[in-house]
Amino acid sequence: MANTGFTIWFTGLSGAGKSTLSEAIEERLKARGRNIEILDGDIVRTHLSKGLGFSREDRDTNIKRIAFVCGLLTRNGVICISAAIAPYREAREWARNHIGHFVEVYVKCPIEVCRQRDVKGLYKLVDEGKLKGFTGVDDPYEEPEHPELVVETDKEAIEESVARIFAKLEELGYLEPEAAHDEEDAKIVTERLAALGYL
Amino acid sequence: MFMNRRKKVLVIGLDCAPPELVFEQWRDELPNFKRVMDHGAWGKLESCIPAITVPAWSSMMSSKDPGTLGFYGFRNRGDYSYEKNTLANSNSVKTDRVWDVLSRAGKKVITVGVPQTYPPKPVNGIQVGCFLSPSTKNPERPYTYPASVMQEIESAVGDYLVDVPNFRTDDKDYLLRQIYTMTEKRFKLVKKWIAEKDWDFFMFVEMGTDRIHHGMWKYHDPTHHKYVVHPVYNESIHNYYRYIDSEIGQILDLVDLDDTTVFIVSDHGAKKMDGGICVNEWLIKEGYLTLKSMPSSLTSIDKCEIDWSKTKVWGDGGYYARIFLNVEGREPQGIVKPEQVESLRNELKAKFEALVDPDGVDIGTTVYKPEEVYHEVNGVPPDLIVYFGDLYWRSVGTVGHGSIYTFENDTGPDDCNHAQFGIVIKHDPAVDEGVGGRELTGLQLMDMAPTILKQLEVPVPADMQGRAF
Repeated sequence: MANTGFTIWFTGLSGAGKSTLSEAIEERLKARGRNIEILDGDIVRTHLSKGLGFSREDRDTNIKRIAFVCGLLTRNGVICISAAIAPYREAREWARNHIGHFVEVYVKCPIEVCRQRDVKGLYKLVDEGKLKGFTGVDDPYEEPEHPELVVETDKEAIEESVARIFAKLEELGYLEPEAAHDEEDAKIVTERLAALGYL
Repeated sequence: MFMNRRKKVLVIGLDCAPPELVFEQWRDELPNFKRVMDHGAWGKLESCIPAITVPAWSSMMSSKDPGTLGFYGFRNRGDYSYEKNTLANSNSVKTDRVWDVLSRAGKKVITVGVPQTYPPKPVNGIQVGCFLSPSTKNPERPYTYPASVMQEIESAVGDYLVDVPNFRTDDKDYLLRQIYTMTEKRFKLVKKWIAEKDWDFFMFVEMGTDRIHHGMWKYHDPTHHKYVVHPVYNESIHNYYRYIDSEIGQILDLVDLDDTTVFIVSDHGAKKMDGGICVNEWLIKEGYLTLKSMPSSLTSIDKCEIDWSKTKVWGDGGYYARIFLNVEGREPQGIVKPEQVESLRNELKAKFEALVDPDGVDIGTTVYKPEEVYHEVNGVPPDLIVYFGDLYWRSVGTVGHGSIYTFENDTGPDDCNHAQFGIVIKHDPAVDEGVGGRELTGLQLMDMAPTILKQLEVPVPADMQGRAF
């Protein structure tokens, strides 16, 4: 199972840290030699879902399109990360069923903290009344009931969240534990170093 | 219209290349080394303590001493237990090395075989792992970043060798063939990428120089106690340097020397090995180390049953010795009172430095206390670091020799030890040093990283300990 494709499906409010975590995970997985693709909410809306708005129907369509692409890539051995808000349970369940190898990670962060971060300046627009139907403010966010993992980005450092996600992926059998490799590597290399006279 | 030239830096690393051979003995026979030296700057480059591949190359490329880096050799204690040893690969390097700084500055980097680059880390370019890579075949554990480069290398050179397989052999013909095969493949790859890839910083380290020294020094050095006259082997190191020189010549022809700064550099030097001091035999003889039973054959100290209740000190082997005290409250069964640590270290230092050879001649041992030679002492350092006989003698950790001296290496044939000074040669397109070049003095490994950054006009991090030259 170690080289199979799977999808890490992040869900959480805007500013919770989905994109940051995605990039950190991408870097580590690339270093392991895996093919990986991030489907970031903003980028998807620029290309795959251009023209869709933020009505419930449009949001569901957006998520289904992301899930469709993730499904295609996943079954071809790629690791996908969906980093959209994905606010509705029903759409996430649809994605889970469609993709199969699916790891839902709830990126939990209080809206006050997200508002403070306001990386994209969206909360400011909301406060100024320039943005309506914003998830967590005047549009609902349905927390996952049974995600594979919850990371709380207001309480843990990025490295900690990343480490917990990797541990979960190893536990689920999607990744081989690094520690096992390390021991194996160390044995081979220690013998070589002893033969070379370094030890 | 004139355009600003794009500055580049090429670092040619030759592990273990000594100044005595390159600058003196064979200077006139190595036209391409000479070509760089004659209008460039060159000099001895002082290694770190210990003068070993790990930590030396990382010290050079991070501009931090081994104490600050927190590793003191290939194998380090993971904690103060007796059992936990960790291997210092790239995961042990917790600080930026030159290519990390350059990657962040948007420079394109390629590194090939630089020690402690396995597992390879993401860079803005390519990183090919060093001889610490367990395999070049395992896609689950790629030895390159990005992993796709593994296939590219195989297409370019076939089976790539990170090191010489079966190094401990008495079959010197085989050994030489392996060394040449490894080196030829590396240079073939390097030349291809220098010509074809986009890069601002390119660095590779050739390990063949080190391996041929260790394997063939007794044929090379007439003062070696095992010197043997041989029609082919006596010239083997000399011929290998001629070959390396020709490869360097081809590389120099591939780069534009008007915009590329070139360094030829080594991490330490080489010298003959006179013998080995069996450090644990000596500690037993002096009453510092007690075994529950003496092994009947050569046995590694970590396989011996040590009576910790009667042991104050134990040691580890290698090109230098690492000495550890069994300290109460620090080691699980420590018996040396913390207040006695300093006097015991001084006592050991005095005794080690008074060591004589079997003929009663002082061998000139030097003992270092980590806190006296490093800015910081991180990780789990040895309590003392010992250069037996100024590195003319190695440290032998195994027990069962029945003597404190050995003239056979406990891990197979090895005729050479490391020396404290390596080399650096610099071609700077902006500076013509004139005929004969300019000899540099007082340089240390850690001066390399800031010099490279300065050449590429990238700010030098404040915590780098070396100075640009």
